[in-house]
Amino acid sequence: MADKYLELIGITTRFGDVEALQGVSLSVARGEVVCLIGPSGCGKSTLLRAANWLTPPNEGTVRLDGSVVGHAPQGRATAAQIRALNGHRARIGMVFQQFNVWPHLTALENVVRAQMVVLRRDKSEAEAKARQALADVGLSDKMDAWPERLSGGQKQRLAIARTLAMDPVLMLMDEPTSALDPELVAEVLAVLQRLAEIQMTMLIVTHELGFAMRVADRIVFMEAGGIVEQGPPQELLSNPRTDRLKAFLDKLSLTTLPKDREHAEI
Amino acid sequence: MKFDISYTIDALPRLLEGALVTLQVTLVGFVLSLSLATALTVMREANNVRWAHRALAVYISFIRGTPLLVQIFLIYYVSPVIGLDIGPYTAGILAITLNSAAFVVEILRGGLASVPSGQFEAASALGLKGPALWGKVILPQTFIASVPPLVNEFTQVLKASALLSTITIVELMRVSQQIFSRNYHPVEVLLGTFILYFLMCFAVSRSAALIEAKLELRRG
Repeated sequence: MADKYLELIGITTRFGDVEALQGVSLSVARGEVVCLIGPSGCGKSTLLRAANWLTPPNEGTVRLDGSVVGHAPQGRATAAQIRALNGHRARIGMVFQQFNVWPHLTALENVVRAQMVVLRRDKSEAEAKARQALADVGLSDKMDAWPERLSGGQKQRLAIARTLAMDPVLMLMDEPTSALDPELVAEVLAVLQRLAEIQMTMLIVTHELGFAMRVADRIVFMEAGGIVEQGPPQELLSNPRTDRLKAFLDKLSLTTLPKDREHAEI
Repeated sequence: MKFDISYTIDALPRLLEGALVTLQVTLVGFVLSLSLATALTVMREANNVRWAHRALAVYISFIRGTPLLVQIFLIYYVSPVIGLDIGPYTAGILAITLNSAAFVVEILRGGLASVPSGQFEAASALGLKGPALWGKVILPQTFIASVPPLVNEFTQVLKASALLSTITIVELMRVSQQIFSRNYHPVEVLLGTFILYFLMCFAVSRSAALIEAKLELRRG
């Protein structure tokens, strides 16, 4: 890829004695959709969470459009660095496995709140934006609903709307459908597919290989804290070059694409 | 001496005035306590300064390990010694605030523990930080989760405020004492006092049930 919009350079993350990521580098071009796949514990979520510095790595640099999001190791962050990081975070949307919508606010307020606080939009502008974002994910009729009353798929779409309203330049998705009941997966994938169609730059950790095949420009296969193989979906999945990817795909097809539910109950 | 309800009825207007003072002192003390405890909770969570944690732990164990009555006397009598001319009301409210805050801090700790870490992450990932993260996302959920024990603490403060009668604050208990020390009908007067305390606490816990029902949907 010639255009390096998001750059992750030499990311090493340790959890105690465990090296979850071992100097991983990955870049994503503007408008590109990259899916990260791999067995549980391979470090794909950790890599994703390094991209907006939510799980700061022990070593490595993250740049977005040439400007530094985070650099490690570093001493105590200065006020200017914290401000810069939050500026980046406001433009990097993140969607979580567990949705993390705010239960104390209605759907509309969930989408309005960060716009007003972080982007300093006035109420009417933020609400207009929120209505549009909620309509984009098919939740126009749920504006005033409490998250408690929404299904898992609706909560995840609400979470997506919340980040979309911030006009993100990049979306990070951490297993967006893993905590969903099977019949609710499709409605969320449909929203993600539409985002891919409008050229949203996305980095997606997923277990949905069928979905990855459809929307990804590139699939990155990770194992044991490193990138093993990457390439266009068709090529990678039909002709895996490494035995490890072959073994991973075999295991998946044997069990007819099992959903990873290990983290779902946390 | 025969029981005569008319002494209760005669005492009622003055007892009600006392009850009003009780409510005022309780309300002010509780609001201050909640504010102080909230500040301490955020500080404890946001700053990983070890001595601050130690200081807070010492404060909590001193408050919880000594009688409120002693704390009230101590603040009332010590303040003029160290050059603070604060009078009984301020001293009393200060004592109630400092005492209650030690309990509210622990209540809020429990409420905060019930807020999933994903709530912090989602807020941080959107660019919220500091006061906005706490004020708009974390604290509202902490308070909502803490409503039942907070209401309970409010009634504790309300009942404990009777101890302020010992430092000349003319609240319900003090008024009651003043009346029966003149008319020598403690049973009748205390009956009225008893009922007024009960009604206040009862009203508070009933309204709590209403608040609870209202917040049910916001718990997620």
